Amino acid sequence: MVKVTMIARVTDGLPLAEGLDDGRDVKDAEMYKQQVKALFKNLASGHNDASRMSVETGPYVFHYIIEGRICYLTMCDRSYPKKLAFQYLEDLKNEFERVNGAQIETAARPYAFIKFDTFIQKTKKLYQDTRTQRNIAKLNDELYEVHQIMTRNVQEVLGVGEKLDQVSQMSSRLTSESRIYADKARDLNRQMALCLEAIWLYIVEVSYY
Amino acid sequence: MPHPSVDPPSSVIQHHNFPSVHQTPPPRAPPIGQPPFQPPAGQVPSPASFHPQPQLHAVPMGSPPSRANDLQLPSDSSSFAPRANFQPPFSSMDSSYSASRANLQPPLPGYVKQANSVSQAPPMAPFQAQQGSYAAPIPTPPPPYHPQQGGFSQPPPIAAPFGLHSRDQIQHPGSAPPIGGIQGLAEDFGSLSIGAVPGTIDSGLDPKALPRPLDGEAESNLLGEAYSMNCNPRYLRLTTSAIPSSQSLLSRWHCPLGAVVCPLAEAPEGEEVPVINFVSTGIIRCRRCRTYVNPYVTFTDSGRKWRCNICALLNDVPGDYFAQLDATGRRIDLNQRPELIKGSVDFVAPTEYMVRPPMPPLYFFLIDVSVSAVRSGMIEVVAQTIKSCLDELPGFPRTQVGFITFDSTIHFYNMKSSLTQPQMMVVSDLDDIFVPLPDDLLVNLSESRAVVEAFLDSLPSMFQDNVNMESALGPAVKAAFMVMSQLGGKLLIFQNTMPSLGVGRLKLRGDDLRVYGTDKEYALRIPEDPFYKNMAAECTKYQIGVNVYAFGDKYIDIASLGALAKYSGGQIYYYPSFQSASHGEKLRHELARDLTRETAWEAVMRVRCGKGIRFSSYHGNFMLRSTDLLALPAVDCDKAYGAQLSLEETLLTSQTVYFQVALLYTASCGERRIRVHTAAVPVVTDLGEMYRHADTAIEKSLSHKLEDSRSSVQLRIVKALREFRNLHAVQHRLGGRMIYPESLKLLPLYGLALSKSAALRGGYNDVQLDDRCAVGFTMMALPVNKLLKLLYPSLLRVDEYLLKPSSQTDEFKNIMKKLPLTAESLDSRGLYVYDDGFRFVVWFGRMLSPDLAMNLLGQDAAVEFSKVCIVSILL
Repeated sequence: MVKVTMIARVTDGLPLAEGLDDGRDVKDAEMYKQQVKALFKNLASGHNDASRMSVETGPYVFHYIIEGRICYLTMCDRSYPKKLAFQYLEDLKNEFERVNGAQIETAARPYAFIKFDTFIQKTKKLYQDTRTQRNIAKLNDELYEVHQIMTRNVQEVLGVGEKLDQVSQMSSRLTSESRIYADKARDLNRQMALCLEAIWLYIVEVSYY
Repeated sequence: MPHPSVDPPSSVIQHHNFPSVHQTPPPRAPPIGQPPFQPPAGQVPSPASFHPQPQLHAVPMGSPPSRANDLQLPSDSSSFAPRANFQPPFSSMDSSYSASRANLQPPLPGYVKQANSVSQAPPMAPFQAQQGSYAAPIPTPPPPYHPQQGGFSQPPPIAAPFGLHSRDQIQHPGSAPPIGGIQGLAEDFGSLSIGAVPGTIDSGLDPKALPRPLDGEAESNLLGEAYSMNCNPRYLRLTTSAIPSSQSLLSRWHCPLGAVVCPLAEAPEGEEVPVINFVSTGIIRCRRCRTYVNPYVTFTDSGRKWRCNICALLNDVPGDYFAQLDATGRRIDLNQRPELIKGSVDFVAPTEYMVRPPMPPLYFFLIDVSVSAVRSGMIEVVAQTIKSCLDELPGFPRTQVGFITFDSTIHFYNMKSSLTQPQMMVVSDLDDIFVPLPDDLLVNLSESRAVVEAFLDSLPSMFQDNVNMESALGPAVKAAFMVMSQLGGKLLIFQNTMPSLGVGRLKLRGDDLRVYGTDKEYALRIPEDPFYKNMAAECTKYQIGVNVYAFGDKYIDIASLGALAKYSGGQIYYYPSFQSASHGEKLRHELARDLTRETAWEAVMRVRCGKGIRFSSYHGNFMLRSTDLLALPAVDCDKAYGAQLSLEETLLTSQTVYFQVALLYTASCGERRIRVHTAAVPVVTDLGEMYRHADTAIEKSLSHKLEDSRSSVQLRIVKALREFRNLHAVQHRLGGRMIYPESLKLLPLYGLALSKSAALRGGYNDVQLDDRCAVGFTMMALPVNKLLKLLYPSLLRVDEYLLKPSSQTDEFKNIMKKLPLTAESLDSRGLYVYDDGFRFVVWFGRMLSPDLAMNLLGQDAAVEFSKVCIVSILL
């Protein structure tokens, strides 16, 4: 079962479209959507370059494909055949590129292609039931091989980002702190110079008298 | 005259008796017509308060020809009697019309000008006598007027001082009411050409008495000169255009201080609200008070910082937004930045302002199909209207629709696009409602178009033979809620009987005469069952706005049903004793407007204002989410919200106070936007200054709202009296001091009109409880201009126009002069259309040329009537 579908631009993580009425029967739909958004952010910062990937999260799996700087992502039950999920994404991708191809790069506002949700809705229904003739045929089709697609855990994927974030945070903190250090050192130097001057003056005065 | 139904026989007789009444004094039938008039004695004060307006009326028309016209009118004042006679034809049309007519009341001949008093003398005598007798029984007349009631000749002298003194003391000679007579008129006319707003002249309307919209514009120009970057007053309008600097000043100002916000008002022609995309940089807002960047912020530090105009905090300008300042301290890119020039802008909301992707426009219809709904023809009209609007529903191709019908059971409809006919599913378990299908109860309109149309075609016939009397509204609302809760949207309820089954069933608590005038009276006007308020709260949470269309020939407890709409930002439409033949057109028009107007979804609104003042209460249809955040699941251009201001600090030190309204909403096209209106207002310390700035229009609407909401906790009538006495006291005191501020001159008029409107008028006998509640709810939501129109409708004379063989458009405009609402303006030879923005009343003069009447009524009267409606709507 396809639960959630999202389409985003990889370059800046801008969401472009989302399935209508998504996550209706998912318990923590909001949490998973947050994870998806975090994932997009990760992608935007260039942490994952695999163009196809499955990411496990709780009882669900995110499947995504990246093509033409667009990421098509869907969340399915773990039991849902991977093959079907990726074919679903392929379908979305073909239609999306056909309809909006030219404007993808120039889209400037979030959910610029929200109208696409009707197509998502429709396509989703086709893939809802794994036992229809059509879907079984697709499953048996050798053409689409999905064994090569890597499966990772969401913590891992997001963790990479987190760690990198930590590193960059640390480095920025280092920079700022070193700047502070430099400032302080300069201050000290100046104070020292003043002190020396005072002492010299004193000595001079004393020697004068 | 307001109660045509009371006196059909007598009036009919009269009609025959005095065919030429208007010429001869004796037939001045008042004595005969009298008895019918007595019950509505509450109306009588009208002469006193209304009389100024004919004079006002004369001003803009100041040109000799039209003035002559004016003078002539009084001679026809006899029509006042004929009018009563003529009622019966209307009463047959419907009681709602007759009720509305009451508003038209003013006709008593208070319109005696000194100039023409000679010619008037004979007709006046009889009236004088009546007048005396009227004065006593009147329940509602504002006290100040009593002295004036003595005779008719009195009003002019009193009015005259107003005019004269206002001319002397206020520096607005042009606008003073020119009661003084011809000389005054001439004077006024002269000054008018200097001071008047161009718009007033070319439309040839009277800026003071009649045209509300022009009124507003005049006001805006006043302020506009000083603060050209303010948003248009149709979006955000203050009761006064100056803020008092201290509390003591405020307390001397007797009217409420506040603002009326109509965030989505239709933009003036040729002016679009610019849409600005800040997604790349993020929207520039003040760090502390979260104010959006606006024309009144100042840039300092060679463009690197900006100072918030509301809280005066210095903020950094982000790198992407940086621009150099020129020698005068203005940004060099000012002209490319609409947000720094215009008072109203739309920002495209970045992802942070979205909790979910923008929702599609969604319309869900909940239709009562019990026997009374079938009989009245309501279902048919609704189905036809919805079908005709399908093409124009906003938000194509994402628009979603769904239907539920109900009587004692609830019927769901599966509209899956692959079906050819909708499938109906009946749920009869009212205690434990469930949704029989997971999908396809709400469908995408563009995909399931055929099925939806098939459904609407068959809907009227489907329930033709339904004999079910019951109505399970509560459970049906719950069911609709369950279907919609994922997306939110607009829920339209068509209810024809009192809910009698399931949760939210209502009792016939009745319009009990005995309750009136007691402490319990207010209880009639508050929802009886908390279910409706709770339901509305739930709906708001899930972004569902509820519009209630109430029909029904019996009491259906609008007070309770209305709570659904009130707390979910919706609207209430009420059609008493609906019959499709006579009310179909009105329903069609209103429903079509409701469905096709531009609507904003899942909106929240916040009003920010400068230091020292704060908004203490809000009025209108919405749910308050936190102390100052208004949740509006569906908001459109016809909704306005009132907010009352209070001063926090004793002294305001700054020169100017700024207000900013921000509405975060999803447009029908699926864009999430933030609409920001900013306005600046000067602070004054001088009371006179404030009076001059007072914006009557709003004033009224606000005090109304205030009162309306208060009335739910207090006796409405008593409240009304006190409120209005207050207002009139203000006016009266001014009169004593011989100051009559130009901008307040309409206040008493509106006060009177309001006290006569169905919401507040009279007691048990005058207005049906349902009517009263419905009007009250309507007023709460109306924008200022429309409210004023409702309070003081326009009256047009159309017979001359109709008689002309070939009519040109420009000619038509000439004819469409609004007339003052007094008996004098009704010529018994004329044909008039009265328009309060909600309905039209056509008034046939008794002496109307027979051909014309024949032409109009001889044929199908209803058709002709609707035609007239359409013509006027175009105006």
